[in-house]
Amino acid sequence: MIARVIGKATLVFCAACVLMPLLWTLMNAFKVNADLLTPVPKFVFEPTFDNIAYVLSRRSVFGALYNSLIICLSAVGIGLVLGLPAAYAIARYPNRITREIQFFVLSLRFLPPVAIAIPFMVIWLNLGFYDTRLSMIVTYSLITTSIAIWLSIPGFQSVPKEVEEAARVDGYGPYAVFFRVALPVAMKALMGALAFSFVLVWNEFMLALMLTASNAKTLPLVASEMSQQGLNVPWGILNAAVVLLSIPPLLLLGLLGNFLNRAFAQKRR
Amino acid sequence: MNRQSSLPFVFLVPTIALLAILALTPTLYALSMSFTDRSLFSPDFNYIGFENYLQLWSDRRFLNSAVVSVKWEVITVTGTMILAVGLGVLMFECASPRARNIYCLIFLIPVLLPRVCAAFVWKFAFHPLYGIVTYPYRAITGKPLDLLADPTSALMVVAFVDIWQWGFFFAVIIVKLLESLPPQPIEASRLDYARPWQIHFYITIPMLRAPLISLALVKAIESLRSFDLIYVMTRGGPGISTETLDMYAFSQGFIESGKIGYASSIAVFMLILTIVAFTIIWKKVNK
Repeated sequence: MIARVIGKATLVFCAACVLMPLLWTLMNAFKVNADLLTPVPKFVFEPTFDNIAYVLSRRSVFGALYNSLIICLSAVGIGLVLGLPAAYAIARYPNRITREIQFFVLSLRFLPPVAIAIPFMVIWLNLGFYDTRLSMIVTYSLITTSIAIWLSIPGFQSVPKEVEEAARVDGYGPYAVFFRVALPVAMKALMGALAFSFVLVWNEFMLALMLTASNAKTLPLVASEMSQQGLNVPWGILNAAVVLLSIPPLLLLGLLGNFLNRAFAQKRR
Repeated sequence: MNRQSSLPFVFLVPTIALLAILALTPTLYALSMSFTDRSLFSPDFNYIGFENYLQLWSDRRFLNSAVVSVKWEVITVTGTMILAVGLGVLMFECASPRARNIYCLIFLIPVLLPRVCAAFVWKFAFHPLYGIVTYPYRAITGKPLDLLADPTSALMVVAFVDIWQWGFFFAVIIVKLLESLPPQPIEASRLDYARPWQIHFYITIPMLRAPLISLALVKAIESLRSFDLIYVMTRGGPGISTETLDMYAFSQGFIESGKIGYASSIAVFMLILTIVAFTIIWKKVNK
């Protein structure tokens, strides 16, 4: 029984290791520098909204937020339009070719980002698209499409074959079966896959660092730049920027948790 | 299923063609650049054969970054797997199904955080004067503790943040894997008075061998994307003690000298090494 108590205490400790730093950051976002830079951590303080207001009023932050949203949502949109049909074809027509394709799609994840970032930069410079949202969308769609394919294959496989057969008997062609039956039935699993691809590009840093200079800068870049303002790091503002940057992925937490549950529930069958 | 349908071609060909173009063009371009003395600052360049690659082997900094990269891979992969297996088993044994669901959601958070954010959160927590992690040390000794400025500990601190992000996430996956195992062998051994650690050490972990190897492989691949974490936390420093291959390629190409030809040869070296290694391992694991 003692072992059980220790085990439970360890679990609580681990949860604290996850939550404490985040709560601390959230608190710091509402502190003035005098409360923030104290040798003894301060838990009671008078909250200020200056940091948040400063971050939201900066044009660079607002521009980056806009860029991030446009670029990531467009890339996820491309991943949806191109990736889901491909995933369906791989799931429903298992043969040697589709297996090779599946491996090819996975192997794209093996590419070290630095190996494609340098040439992409030169290519976009030559084409005159360097530092534009368009070039970022195209580059990111490589990530979103491959991840969307990889993660939606199990979703389509979980659609019962009988349902599709029944639709076929009712006179649906193969395309109608995909759009009217497979897509709606697998929708929940597919949402999770798309959410994952969104989080990946939202958090992406290295490609953005190399492929943008000012116009198409994304939010992670602007946040990282704030820490490089010499000795007087505006920690309160920085914490506020971190909070802003973390909100979208955390909003998707429930969706992604469900996605994992579903994926493993399916495996059990 | 109707095999004559045009659907697989219509659905696959455009997508795969686009992916192939988007992936192969830069790869081949990097390969061709690696044979040139191209620089960021001038449009002219010459093909110089394998000179960049030969130069790599006498470049101390390159060799150092290769060693750092290998260290980084080993530390983060083993650290993540140990934390994940330990915590996964602990959740399976000690938490009720309801508590388990809550823990699973909490433990998903770190991996969803942008790495830039995770890096800041911990960089401030490890701050020598104001950090909350270094506070106990300051309170006891009265001296500041700067772990990120010490060459021996800096890599460990950055690796700690990486393990914090991935270990908890993998623990969630492992608890789901444990739940998906058939319950009979576990119950049988419980009836034989096996201790919980014995059950897991001798029965469940061996049963999960294949998925655990796949997980370790996934982590090894993701560990290659360490750039953002290191860039924000240490910039490769102090000195070059946390400079991994991609960090070095970046600083050669963009920060110090603009030698993108040379930087490309580092990138291509990395690319070939990872593709060969992971293709072989992946095909072996998923036979």
